[in-house]
Amino acid sequence: MESLAETPWDVTISGTGLAQSLLALALSRSGKKVLHVDQNQYYGGSEAAFSLQEAQDWATQVNEEPERFPFENAIVSSQDSNGVLASRAYTLSLSPQMIYARSELLPTLVSSKVYRQLEFLAVGSWWIYKFQNDTTAEQGGGFMYRVPSSREDVFADDFIGVKSKRTLMKFIRHIAKQEAETKPEDEVPDTSFSEYLASKFQLPAELHSTLLSLALSQDSDQQTSAAFAVPRIKRHMASIGVFGPGFGSLIAKWGGGSEISQVGCRSLAVGGGVYVLGSGIQSITPAIETEPGADARAQVRLSNDETFQSTFVIGSDWELPGQPRPQCDKVSRSIAIVSDPFSTLFPVTADGGPVPSGAVVLFPGSSLGQPDDAPPVYILVHTSETGECPSGQCVLYCSVSIPGLKGQSLIEDAVRKLLESTPNTDAKVLWSLRYTQLGRSADGARGTQPAKLTMHPNNVISFPPPSLDLTFDDRVLDLVKEAWEAVMGDEAANHEFMIFEDREGAYDEE
Amino acid sequence: MSESTSANTPKPSSSVKLVLLGEAAVGKSSLVLRFVNNDFQENKEPTIGAAFLTQKCSLPTRTIKFEIWDTAGQERFASLAPMYYRNAQAALVVYDVTKPSSLTKAKHWVAELQRQASPGIVIALVGNKLDLTNDGNDATAGESQADNEAEPSAADGEDASGENADEQDASSGDARKVSTREANSYAEEESLLFFETSAKTGVNVAEVFTAIANAIPESSLKSGRGTGAGTGQTTLGGGRPAEDSRVNLGERGASTAKEGCAC
Repeated sequence: MESLAETPWDVTISGTGLAQSLLALALSRSGKKVLHVDQNQYYGGSEAAFSLQEAQDWATQVNEEPERFPFENAIVSSQDSNGVLASRAYTLSLSPQMIYARSELLPTLVSSKVYRQLEFLAVGSWWIYKFQNDTTAEQGGGFMYRVPSSREDVFADDFIGVKSKRTLMKFIRHIAKQEAETKPEDEVPDTSFSEYLASKFQLPAELHSTLLSLALSQDSDQQTSAAFAVPRIKRHMASIGVFGPGFGSLIAKWGGGSEISQVGCRSLAVGGGVYVLGSGIQSITPAIETEPGADARAQVRLSNDETFQSTFVIGSDWELPGQPRPQCDKVSRSIAIVSDPFSTLFPVTADGGPVPSGAVVLFPGSSLGQPDDAPPVYILVHTSETGECPSGQCVLYCSVSIPGLKGQSLIEDAVRKLLESTPNTDAKVLWSLRYTQLGRSADGARGTQPAKLTMHPNNVISFPPPSLDLTFDDRVLDLVKEAWEAVMGDEAANHEFMIFEDREGAYDEE
Repeated sequence: MSESTSANTPKPSSSVKLVLLGEAAVGKSSLVLRFVNNDFQENKEPTIGAAFLTQKCSLPTRTIKFEIWDTAGQERFASLAPMYYRNAQAALVVYDVTKPSSLTKAKHWVAELQRQASPGIVIALVGNKLDLTNDGNDATAGESQADNEAEPSAADGEDASGENADEQDASSGDARKVSTREANSYAEEESLLFFETSAKTGVNVAEVFTAIANAIPESSLKSGRGTGAGTGQTTLGGGRPAEDSRVNLGERGASTAKEGCAC
């Protein structure tokens, strides 16, 4: 049994969230001595996935030690008074985000050879909660409207008027243009998304939130800038068909980001990295100056009182000692297990396409009795095929960019409307976990600047707060690459980032 | 393992994540090496961290592809196992028949799996190093496995222990310290598959994996997790094969390169 002190570590990664775990994957073939620690007893950090019991334990910890987590006010409510829900039949994810087919993450998972350890499922349809003409929320005329996301869909749509269809087609054609074809007048102006749609395409206001949903903007169409929404709708359109007909985004089975984190950590473990759970970094003492040119290693102390030396220490501000908490945006989130499979939300969207396992439902602020410029509630619905719940149920991942009770009550309203939309009158919420999440809004939303690494003295590097985007934020890969380059130094030139051969013994046939 | 089948149509193939657990030096990696490469290394280096290997196992009606996660037994922080047994459908918990403390450790692992792993995980308890014993004849686990051929392995076991006898204490030539009965009755209590094996001679090694492959329920191959706590309502995915929902990242090249082709 060696003690940690016997190894001069090149890198200590603190925390096993998605960014740190992707860094672990990037370093898994580097020959570096890597120690990967986590203050928690579980993998995944802010992107972890839990059984019901683990979720309950997590909620207790978040409330008791809020300074340790980018989360607040976690509350579990269970309607399961008889205890019939089997805790371990659930894998509820703190990071249920989708991955667009055009995301850089997917080629990275392929080139690093870990994709074979993951299973991906399709997200099929986008839905919006709308009202029949001349009815309002109070009159209960709401229904689920499937967002047309291709020309075929627009043709087949029987809700939009003929004139609107024509303008919508014009917009979709415009969006689908190749970069090379764009002319100067196609530049996206510095206006709101709704103004852009109205002035450039004469799109009627009732279609604005429809298109907003494709951008997955967490602000209203008035509050969302065209410069933010348009490239994101382009990404949506360009992703459709990449991995098969009728869908453009994916979810990783068994808990989304959590599963990807674990795959990253496993790769580093196979590559000789050492893992210690349940021990965070207590202190970092700067290296004593030795002869110039020698690698200076800081003295690191873990919460289990073990000390060792490490050249680099990398983590988030929540996982490094003495770091002030960064400025964060806050969103309300809720994970709800419901007693209905919501089959109608998952039609096969194209001939020969897969059976979707995920759907996106948007509730415009106005559909929840809020002003038109109030932010929408998004619900990502995952079927039991995701491995997150038993069959016959599904998991709702709800999000609104208003923190606290206000946000939670909007989510509750949206969930109630979603339940009312199913023919199953017994459909109900069996269990839920509500919380506030701290992080950074999607790059470009609300004028957010692109997230950056912070390089502290003594080779301590911190990742920015986790992304609150509903899709995987490709910026994370850039950050991981920057951290990898910092660690590799001159050697980076001799290694390719995340491009690996299959390991011996693994998948040598086929 | 032969992949040739008489049938012209390929059999359905499913991946099964299998994790190896057990005390250091009980022969976990050697079992995998025997199963995957039909090879044995004397004085094998301890596994660092973990290893990942794959091997197919052909059953009459389907092919099981084992994704084998081999953890380091001397892994000091017990921090790796949770990430390996997460979503694992099968676990092989190994002890050394010549070392009673290794069975105690194995029992800890079984308890941990029953507490933490996916419901419905298939667990096999394996007593390795049968070649160091000389009572292989009546002690092979074949007895307790009604559907398992015990005869040939028993004979092999005897040969092996014979060869090995001079390496052992001259007095008995038998280093066995854990009786088959003790381990078997524990396995029965906990509903585990049970085998005694020798990675060195190969006795019962393939049988362990075949038995695990047979024990994985069909439903778990579809959904990847045990039967789950169904509520009796109709299932969305019911009747649809899993391939219908799975997206293959490798198909990117095959699919059309046209941008946004759905429009």
